[in-house]
Amino acid sequence: MEFLGLYPTWYEPGVGSGWIVGIISTVHVLFSHTAVGAAIFFAFLANYAHRHDRPDLLEFIRRYGLFLLVFSYVLGSITGPGIWYSTTVASPRGISALIHNFVWMWATEWVFFIIEVVGVYMLVYLANRVDRQTHLKLSVIFGLTSYTTMLVIVGILSFMMWPGKADWYTETGVLHGFYGPNTFAQLAMRTAFMFTMTAVVGGIVAARFPDPAFKKDVARKLAWLGIGSAIAGVLVFRWYLTTLPDTALLVMHNRLPDWFPVGVMGMLAAVGVYFLATLIQPRLLVASGAAAMTLVVLVFGLWPGEVARESIRKPWVAGQYVYSNQVIGRDVPGRGIQSEIPLIEERGFLQTLVFLPEALRQVTPDNAVEAGRVLALTTCSNCHSLSPTGMRPLRDYFPADVDQDAIVDYLHAGLASGNTLYMPQIPFTDDEAFALASYLATLSGPDAGAAPRTAWQADAPSDLQANQAPVPTLAASAAREMNP
Amino acid sequence: MTPEILYALRDPAGVPTHPWLFLILGALTLALHMAAVQVMLGTGLLTLRGAYSKNPYWRRLAAHMLITAKIAVSVAIVIGVAPLLFVQVVYDPFWYTSNVLSAWWVIGFILILIAGYIALYVFYWKNHHLETEGGRSGHWLVLSLALLLGVGYIVHALTNQMLFPEEWLAWYAPDGIIQPDGQRLHYAYPLRFGFFIALSLPVTGAWLLGYRRFQQGRADADPVYIAWLKPLALGLLVVGGLLAVVLGALWMLTLPEKMAWFAASPWVYVALGALLITVALPLALGRTLDQGYWGYATFGLGAVALIVVCAVREVLRYFTLTGSHGYDALDYSVHMDWYSLVLFLLTFAVLGGVTLGYMLTVAWQAGQTVGRYSPSPALSRLGSLSIGLLVLWTLAYFGIGFYVWAN
Repeated sequence: MEFLGLYPTWYEPGVGSGWIVGIISTVHVLFSHTAVGAAIFFAFLANYAHRHDRPDLLEFIRRYGLFLLVFSYVLGSITGPGIWYSTTVASPRGISALIHNFVWMWATEWVFFIIEVVGVYMLVYLANRVDRQTHLKLSVIFGLTSYTTMLVIVGILSFMMWPGKADWYTETGVLHGFYGPNTFAQLAMRTAFMFTMTAVVGGIVAARFPDPAFKKDVARKLAWLGIGSAIAGVLVFRWYLTTLPDTALLVMHNRLPDWFPVGVMGMLAAVGVYFLATLIQPRLLVASGAAAMTLVVLVFGLWPGEVARESIRKPWVAGQYVYSNQVIGRDVPGRGIQSEIPLIEERGFLQTLVFLPEALRQVTPDNAVEAGRVLALTTCSNCHSLSPTGMRPLRDYFPADVDQDAIVDYLHAGLASGNTLYMPQIPFTDDEAFALASYLATLSGPDAGAAPRTAWQADAPSDLQANQAPVPTLAASAAREMNP
Repeated sequence: MTPEILYALRDPAGVPTHPWLFLILGALTLALHMAAVQVMLGTGLLTLRGAYSKNPYWRRLAAHMLITAKIAVSVAIVIGVAPLLFVQVVYDPFWYTSNVLSAWWVIGFILILIAGYIALYVFYWKNHHLETEGGRSGHWLVLSLALLLGVGYIVHALTNQMLFPEEWLAWYAPDGIIQPDGQRLHYAYPLRFGFFIALSLPVTGAWLLGYRRFQQGRADADPVYIAWLKPLALGLLVVGGLLAVVLGALWMLTLPEKMAWFAASPWVYVALGALLITVALPLALGRTLDQGYWGYATFGLGAVALIVVCAVREVLRYFTLTGSHGYDALDYSVHMDWYSLVLFLLTFAVLGGVTLGYMLTVAWQAGQTVGRYSPSPALSRLGSLSIGLLVLWTLAYFGIGFYVWAN
């Protein structure tokens, strides 16, 4: 008997498992980019201080180091594995695909992590106990090492969008998956953002210096760094867009919330104004202002950025061969990986799932709703909440008076064909479609009116409709997904 | 769960190197992670014991151990990434299932660890003058240790759940109804957990012997303080070692039926022997302990003993899954990827070896120096070499990357 190797599902009805991963990821990106940027800035300042005999700058480094240690390393070093942990439970086959392809790259990054941790403690605790030359060397080692961690992880993140080279599916070597235009564009974008974060967070420490002349000097350096990196960030973002698959661009234009571009532009404008103000008038640099800017970047820059990065690779989560619902949807001949879609088409989910009570293997009128719930959990809940709250609730896609046959028609047409943008191909058998429709109908009960219905009522752009199979009206409506 | 089902869960991508390498590296890095965890717990306890003592030596020890504990948490976290990585490569069906079934605890692990770490820092911030003024706000340290033990317990349970595939479906769908909330930890084994936690006492005893030797190397060494440390270290080593052995024996005697064979296997005696030799070493050395570098030997041997214990633990897991469940972690399909393997090995052995060698030598020598420290010219050259290797690595990254991209 052939099985579909899907793990059990973790379902979080409040906000959805995907958002929990998103929250942890966003917090981690804030800390990690700040840490890497600060480490490099650290090295630059140490160099400057030693060359120009500026012990006051070394004091800045010592204080910044303490702050960096607490702010970035304590939380960054935990939230990093935190992303692993959360994706392990939210998307086990997605993270497994990355690990089984890139385990040695991650192990390489781990070596740099160790050097980084040793380095940050040495810089802080030995700041006044080693000679200049040694301190400088430690600073440079720390800065370079921090950046190498980013070099490694960006290649893996890029693979999540799509493999670096198109021939990866047949060649499958790490080099072909790791390196590609998206890798370098993303690296440039993250590097720019890293320096922006360094300038913003550095201001929190610099604002506390009692010597006005020194504070002015540092404030200006940070302002120039912030302005330069923000401008560079905008430019390389345009490059990044050219390295995305067409589907990602379509999703970006049609599926992301309207406030995202406005929020990001507003954030960039706020960052620009903030740095210009502190450049012209360094006394405006105060700790509370810098902390507020950090929050602005987090809410209006990082959050949309991370949500967008997650969204635009859908329906895939890894290498364009693992679907968001964990099913393998594409052959990778070079690794002997076969799409699981033919097996599902032939035998269905209920006959092949591993984690399924035997009583649900056959759909009956008595167990149809429960079988449908399990199917919804397995095939939908990674992206769609089964409750009224959380990510893109399923019930928002089906009107209260929908009849079950219409749902079945949609499941057989829009989903089974795999022609719906943003959605995996999900071929249900007749029994399964009936079971899932039975369950979906229960979601649109008498109290369903409380839920927002904007998604299926919204107009889909014509280019999207062109990509969809001719499906019944309900299906076409349901295919127009609600924004996250 | 039949073998067929377990194999269906396995990632079809296979592995980029033969699985034995992941098993070995997993056991090795787990031992290093455990050493850091045990030093963290032991030095945390010593801080708690010493911070409120009127004895100035206890307070001095507490001040030093607090810094050690704080750094040990970071080291434990960063080293812990490696065994976490390797277990997912060769035991993916077991690790992922166990985690998903207790998902909220997996997320909770992160939050509790952050809280525990921050609580330790709060205690540190409130005790900058611990040695002279004594401890204050000890509840933060107690809270921190409790939380850190809590995260250890979570990982312990997740690791145990891996070994019981026959229970997975019942845990996921009690009474035939799937409950995907991930709110419960399903299987823990307090004796096993107690054994690994109790090991923190002898490991910390061995660490104290090393710390004592380190203090002996300082120009301003305090011989009375150094003498005071010795019975404390030996007491922790001997009493703690025996406690760990007793707990370990109880764990072996009460193993679940499918693992009972292990209790009488030679592997157990290998682990027992390694632990007992470590405990006996400083006693056998006598006065030699204070000569040359012998003061560090016990911790070094203790690290080897931990590697042996972790390797034996791996034997238990491997043969339990092979024997009782028909799953062989060594029969993955191998798609050799020489580039990434060589990159890792070179980065680990050459770049990591040189750079960490330089940094740790500087840290060690600077710690023993009164006043400002300047390394020898040879050591400075090692620092320059480290920078050169990092630059070379970065250039190679871009060079190879652009070449691949262009082709």
